Amino acid sequence: MPKAGTEEASDLDPSARGVAKAAPQQPARTRFRRRNRRLKRWFPYLLVAPAVIYLMLITLYPGVFAITQSFYKVKFGPWRPIGFANYARLLGDYQFLGALWNTFLIGSISLALQCVIALTLAFHTYRDPWIRGWRIVFLVPMLFMPSAVAFLYKLAFLDARVFSDILIRLGLIEHNLAIQSSTWLSRAVLILADVWQWTPFLFIIFVAALQGQDEEVEEAARLDGASWFQIFWNISLPMMRPVIVVALTLRAIDITTMFANVFIITKGGPAFGTETISYFIYRTGFRSFDFGYASAASVVMLILTVIVAQTVVKRAFVSARS
Amino acid sequence: MGARRGARGESRLIRYLILGSWALFCLAPVLWFLSIGLRPRVEIISPQPIYVPHLSLEAWHMIWEDWPMARYLRNSVLAIFGSVLIDLVLAIPAAYSLSRYRYRGRDDIGFYILSTRMMAPAIVAVPIFFLFRSAGLLDTIWALMIVYAAINLSLVTWIIRSYMLDIPKELEDAARTDGASDMRILVEIIIPAIIPGIITASVIAMIFAINEFLFTLLIASTPNAYTLSVALANFTGGSDGLIYNAIALVAFLAFVPVFLVVVAIQRHLSRGLTMGAVKG
Amino acid sequence: MARIELRNIQRKWGEFWGVRDVNLAIEDREFLVLLGPSGCGKTTTMRMIAGLEEPTEGEIVMDGEVVNGVDARDRDVAMVFQGYALYPNMTVYENIRFPLRMRRIPPSEHDARVRRAAEMVELSEFLDRKPAALSGGQRQRAALARAIVREPYVFLMDEPLSNLDAKLRQQMRVQIKYIQRKLQITTVYVTHDQIEAMTLADRIVVMKAGAIQQIGTPDQIYHDPANTFVAGFIGSPPMNLVAGRLEGGTFSAEGIRVDGLPDRLGGDVVIGIRPEDCTVADEGHLSAEVFGLEPTGDVTYLTLRAGDKLIEVKADRSYRVPLGSGATVAFDPARIYLFDAATGERLR
Repeated sequence: MPKAGTEEASDLDPSARGVAKAAPQQPARTRFRRRNRRLKRWFPYLLVAPAVIYLMLITLYPGVFAITQSFYKVKFGPWRPIGFANYARLLGDYQFLGALWNTFLIGSISLALQCVIALTLAFHTYRDPWIRGWRIVFLVPMLFMPSAVAFLYKLAFLDARVFSDILIRLGLIEHNLAIQSSTWLSRAVLILADVWQWTPFLFIIFVAALQGQDEEVEEAARLDGASWFQIFWNISLPMMRPVIVVALTLRAIDITTMFANVFIITKGGPAFGTETISYFIYRTGFRSFDFGYASAASVVMLILTVIVAQTVVKRAFVSARS
Repeated sequence: MGARRGARGESRLIRYLILGSWALFCLAPVLWFLSIGLRPRVEIISPQPIYVPHLSLEAWHMIWEDWPMARYLRNSVLAIFGSVLIDLVLAIPAAYSLSRYRYRGRDDIGFYILSTRMMAPAIVAVPIFFLFRSAGLLDTIWALMIVYAAINLSLVTWIIRSYMLDIPKELEDAARTDGASDMRILVEIIIPAIIPGIITASVIAMIFAINEFLFTLLIASTPNAYTLSVALANFTGGSDGLIYNAIALVAFLAFVPVFLVVVAIQRHLSRGLTMGAVKG
Repeated sequence: MARIELRNIQRKWGEFWGVRDVNLAIEDREFLVLLGPSGCGKTTTMRMIAGLEEPTEGEIVMDGEVVNGVDARDRDVAMVFQGYALYPNMTVYENIRFPLRMRRIPPSEHDARVRRAAEMVELSEFLDRKPAALSGGQRQRAALARAIVREPYVFLMDEPLSNLDAKLRQQMRVQIKYIQRKLQITTVYVTHDQIEAMTLADRIVVMKAGAIQQIGTPDQIYHDPANTFVAGFIGSPPMNLVAGRLEGGTFSAEGIRVDGLPDRLGGDVVIGIRPEDCTVADEGHLSAEVFGLEPTGDVTYLTLRAGDKLIEVKADRSYRVPLGSGATVAFDPARIYLFDAATGERLR
């Protein structure tokens, strides 16, 4: 058998001998190599450390920076400490509160629409023979850059007024819609653009979840006399719940951070009626150069994010895995 | 029986009506936008919208001749590929650690990585801007690379982790008794077994990097570091505002490669989009 | 010399005992089988020998040296897994060669050794295939070849045959035994299948709930079980166990009466009698309703219901009787085992 002699093994490998000596009750000469236990213990931490450090630099450092800056007046010239003044101002700032409200309003309406549409589409396609074709067609809007989609909608609704023109031709309205001066129409455009582009995200996930479900269960239910819709409602939907929660959570995060569409289509107008939190921070920081105030708004948003992450997201991902 | 079949046929009609109208809703704006890209500028904004325009390659010539389109493309490609590379280098060992070892604090570390995905770009935008300014990285591809990598690191890690969790523990035990070190196991056993996962993660990361807008807008303040996504916002000409046919054409140039890779990884898409939480 | 000793080995996960106080010496070149139902700690014991798991307490000794804390990769053990654990991205050839590469065996030797190992398991024609392109039996043999290629200190086999169909399993049993004899390498084999244990083992270790129940040769385990667990686990169908009272050499339970047992013992006992030690007779110890009849071809198994107890009897292959009728069986008193009713331990 190809076994190194006892003496050879330890003599050839000084590190092994050293470790063997360090370990109590072990003979100095050994045919078994003993490795550094401490290295072994720390190895998994070493593997994950670079990623964590990188993320900390990009998230934790800015977090601390933002918190610090939020206690200063930072607007041209040197930083001036002003305590909680920025936060006090936020509480009374109707633009900030309005931005919170707009984000919530646009986000929840858009998310609800996307969810219902995606479920409907998934329900009708998942056992359809043409599923691959449907999936590719429905996927198309998602694969455009969000900024491009924003321009598409800006052109169709505002600049070229194609939407109004079509409605006029259909006899539904008589004059061009004054979208830019109507808060609700402007919001509707933002919602429509988001629904158009991101319903596929949910659709793809829901279809995969439905296709992944056990066909035998469906067949058993069908033999028991259940209709397709009854199967979907009573069996598929409850089974999909963790998937729906994860998908909606991810979608909700992206909607609440919506920026490009606001920046390009409405610029937050009319009268700040479509300004989202992200756009508010951008505007105060990079248009009014009121960085301390923008940082205070960031911190508020950060706190909201952490709360949501610690509760909803954590649970969503844990339940989806089990 | 006959009645039931009738009902089935009717429901099928309704089904295809629903699916067909959604398909129309998806594709009609796309086709119209394509027609914008292929028409002369004078036919874009007119008192009456023009639905059947004259075909023109005006925009095509414009983007290559009037703008440094090649540079925008190069910037995009470099920043995106660079960021994905950074992500893989960091994420593969991290995912290996999170999926194949048990240690104190592992789940918290994993969740910390996940939670950075929840961070709104706007929250860190101001500090990141100051950070890059003091490092002299504003207006460089390097800054974009670093930011894109950070945005996508959580999702790349979690997707790869999910694929690693699928590898039976036995395989690792076998390699260990065969005499392989932990690093060897990663390189020779685990990585070859999760190539689809690595590709999926890379593609999804690429899409998100192409889409990124806010940071790019802040970091890239001159054409030096413009990427396609932000370049669009700068296709303006004089008094008559945005040059939509150029915008549309560039949108399609970016769309085609994304569409092709996504169709190629279709089967893995749902898993990638949910960061591995949902298996396709 | 490849002798392995387990001294007071324990493995706990929180409050759960995986293995408790196992003492065992595995002799050089021995074929030792760890046998028990699932969750009995047999696989954990093997994984601790492999170094894939560290004992919470106790020592593992190889070659007279304590190897606790030595990594699996430094222990020179070769393991065959239940799911084969072939590396899916490598061909069969590369799979078999992998341990040689990892152990820095001179590359010039690799080819010859891989081919020799493949030949031994009759896999030479399939060396270029990926595992996905192999049948279950071929995968099993590839895994075996990967283990034998480096002639390790000890073979560890964790239920290697449980994913094969019955016929293939029988062939592989013979092959494994042959290879082990030929290579003369100490082997520890984990299984829940008593036939595998009986046919392969030099010695069997029967385990239950993390503890060793009995160690012995197949004959000892079969003919001289240490307690009711071993008695009831070994044999197919297993030994009949009937609880009752023993007084003055007479055992009595509902519907059963047996005389001629040792009269120095008494009290609440369990008697054990193997189906083959029962005979259908006109007069006997038990008369009861026929509950089941299973003709298997070369023998007929008869199941009687006495009270709430089912008694298995091995009858002649031509024996037939309608279900629900009565039958009488006689026991061979010399072949009756006595166990303590409270502890389950054998009374001698």
